[in-house]
Amino acid sequence: MRRSPIAHEPFITTRLGPAIDWARKNSLFPLPFGTACCAIEFMGVVSSQFDVSRFGAEVVRFSPRQADLMIVAGTVVYKMAPILRTIYAQMAEPRWVISMGVCASSGGFYDDYCTLQGIDQIVPVDVYVPGCPPSPELLLDGLLKLQKKIDEQRLLEKP
Amino acid sequence: MGFAPLAILIPLAILVPLAMLGVQRLLAPRRPDATKAAPYECGAPILGTAHPRMPIKFYVVAVLFLLFDVEVVFLFPWSVLARDLGWMGLAQMLLFLGVLEVGLLYVWRKRALEWE
Amino acid sequence: MPNPNPDRVRGHLGEDFLADCSSHGDLVYAVHRRGHRRVLRALRDDPELRFDMLMDLTAADRMHLPQRFERFEVVYELYSLWNGWRLRLKVPVPADDPHLDSIHDVWKAANWAEREAFDMFGIRFDGHPNLKRILCHHEFVGHPLRKDYDRRRGQWCATTETLEDELQLRRAAEHRAHNGQAEPAEALTSERMLVNIGPSHPVSHGTLRVLVELEGETIKHAIPEIGYLHRGFEKSAEKGVWNNVIPYADRLNYVSALSNNVAYVKAVEKLAGVEVPDRCKFIRVILNELSRIMDHCVCNAANIVDVGALTNFWYLFSVRENIYKVLEKLTGARLTNSYTRVGGLARDLYPGFADDVRAVLKESLPYVHDVLTLVKNNRIFQERTVGVSAFSATEALSYGWTGPCLRACGVPLDARKRDGYYFYDQFNFDVPVGEKGDAYDRILVRFEEIFQSVRIIEQALDKLPGGPVDTDRNRFVLPPKQEVYRDIEPLMNHFMLVMFGTPVPPGETYDSFEVPNGELGFYIISDGSGKPYRVRVRPPCFYLYQAYPEIIEGSMVADMAAVLGSLNVVAGELDR
Repeated sequence: MRRSPIAHEPFITTRLGPAIDWARKNSLFPLPFGTACCAIEFMGVVSSQFDVSRFGAEVVRFSPRQADLMIVAGTVVYKMAPILRTIYAQMAEPRWVISMGVCASSGGFYDDYCTLQGIDQIVPVDVYVPGCPPSPELLLDGLLKLQKKIDEQRLLEKP
Repeated sequence: MGFAPLAILIPLAILVPLAMLGVQRLLAPRRPDATKAAPYECGAPILGTAHPRMPIKFYVVAVLFLLFDVEVVFLFPWSVLARDLGWMGLAQMLLFLGVLEVGLLYVWRKRALEWE
Repeated sequence: MPNPNPDRVRGHLGEDFLADCSSHGDLVYAVHRRGHRRVLRALRDDPELRFDMLMDLTAADRMHLPQRFERFEVVYELYSLWNGWRLRLKVPVPADDPHLDSIHDVWKAANWAEREAFDMFGIRFDGHPNLKRILCHHEFVGHPLRKDYDRRRGQWCATTETLEDELQLRRAAEHRAHNGQAEPAEALTSERMLVNIGPSHPVSHGTLRVLVELEGETIKHAIPEIGYLHRGFEKSAEKGVWNNVIPYADRLNYVSALSNNVAYVKAVEKLAGVEVPDRCKFIRVILNELSRIMDHCVCNAANIVDVGALTNFWYLFSVRENIYKVLEKLTGARLTNSYTRVGGLARDLYPGFADDVRAVLKESLPYVHDVLTLVKNNRIFQERTVGVSAFSATEALSYGWTGPCLRACGVPLDARKRDGYYFYDQFNFDVPVGEKGDAYDRILVRFEEIFQSVRIIEQALDKLPGGPVDTDRNRFVLPPKQEVYRDIEPLMNHFMLVMFGTPVPPGETYDSFEVPNGELGFYIISDGSGKPYRVRVRPPCFYLYQAYPEIIEGSMVADMAAVLGSLNVVAGELDR
């Protein structure tokens, strides 16, 4: 793990840090890890009526190399868990995860032998968006919360 | 003569990518690990190599494309100055194209343009 | 539903006949497992009966039921396309020796269905080419749908299967098919490339995984793997009361949730012998047709996007959003509505519903027309979809195809016309039928079905009768809330229904409904308590997707996108 060589330089991080955070939060490239019904609502968010493009996140990339925000939309079952973990591991930093819907956040109402009871058991989650499925406005609210979180993150200073 | 644009463009072409890479070196986090470096196969384990022996038809198409692309590249400067070069220039160009068209005819007859 | 001549069927059963279990208007026979293969083959080949489709193959664990032959029972649901007859055969399988002959060579549809029965119950099918788990992951131990498996006992999976074993089977089959002919000199042939088009991929429409072996651009072998969205619908359905299954049913084919709602309650009402009022039937028809429009819009939007045309996606999604507004006003939810109840509906229509629907249809139809004009005669679109994955009708029937995909192959099977339930026989509409069964036909059949659905909705809105929406059978549905708060009788009725469930008498039945994707069937067993004993979903996508390797082998990689989208495989329904 290598720290950025200018990480502890106070003048640069207080000027450059917010600028970089602003750039990062307004140009998130989502990776829609859509499995179930929430993926359809995500398609609704990307469509013209709810237009996630207003917030800069309309470039959906399905490859983890090209994305920085993974939106897990839908139920993740134990069979899918290794896939999810691998794809998360293949994303490059800085990376964030939004858990969309109750199935991704906690297993939803599928409390049974095959469903992972929440993706936070295998990947770190930044924002949980409840709902079954969450309405598109709710997902946009989650995205805005993530943007606020990115503002406060100061990635330059983190190791 | 107009080399001033070139004198601005070439240094820019070198400096801008270097600057981008340099900024990335300074600011970007770097945390490599084995899974991250592995090839992307939609999350599933990787079977087979990425360098099998490819069917030859891909190579044939690529080479033919290259040849005729270069021919088009030669067509551009001629077309800009076509009026100045006059009939003589046209005749020379037609000769050039004719030689290449004979080659195209050969390729056509040899069925290298068919995909299957 | 008309049934075949029982004597002729009995004639084929011969000495393997165990019992006549007919009930609820279905013809059902129990057959001994030593002869069921012979019987099924004879029923398929009989020139008068012609049971050419295996609609469903499933199993049940009858451990807690008083009426049973053995612990397990494998159930075969047959359908005769020619005559419109249905027949169910049940084969008891003892728990200490759970095996019986496979019928994968009688109907190709049985291949995956037997794998699922093995996965869920542990019943072995002798002679099956590749009997391994299909829905649960490969590290799973046990058989979840058995009654002694605890529903909440989850099992982690650390690795993903490489599918090499299935690939070797395929390669061996190919080698045998070529009769081991001499191959050209090794040094000059190209090597084949293995590409995993995995569960997280834009073209895979959800959690479908295909391992393809490519020679250049041509697909030589394609091995699908499903189960990446297996959420345990059938086990969860046994947890609560009959009405609690409705939200789970929503999430089966989540792009047309209301259709699944209607299909489920229709099956339960058949089992309970309950007749819903006409108004309820008309409303269910309207909602089913609205769902059909939504489903076909999404399917075609995704399919056309995969082929490369993005604009149509926005247009067709606008249609969907407009319909969502009406559904949100009516049911409270956009996508997963849970609007029907056993015996009726959750609530009546709001005043102004008919005008809203008419306005929505009027606003949305031009979008669909625009999209159709853009793609129908478009040279690029036709090059990408015409002739791609043409599938013959006989193969499709053997695989158990239903719905628009089968109609695109030229078979005019539509249960709405054939069975005429819910007043469909009084509506004036056509059933679009394709010719070649290629991707182009499927897409156009879906577009045409949207227009036919609009016709049905308009006629239904005109004819919508007044009256109650719930059945008047005593204590079958929740009483109105004002009465519940006032008197003790309705309060107790409410309490019993919520805590102990709708009183569906013991028995079993199979009922089907024409949802946008084909025939969605429910095989349900009730033990008389208010909870379902067994709810089996007959998913149309499961039988459609099984034919995918056969369709795609020989085509180019780029065709995979067009084909998979045109099949409309929804993982929620495929994996349940």
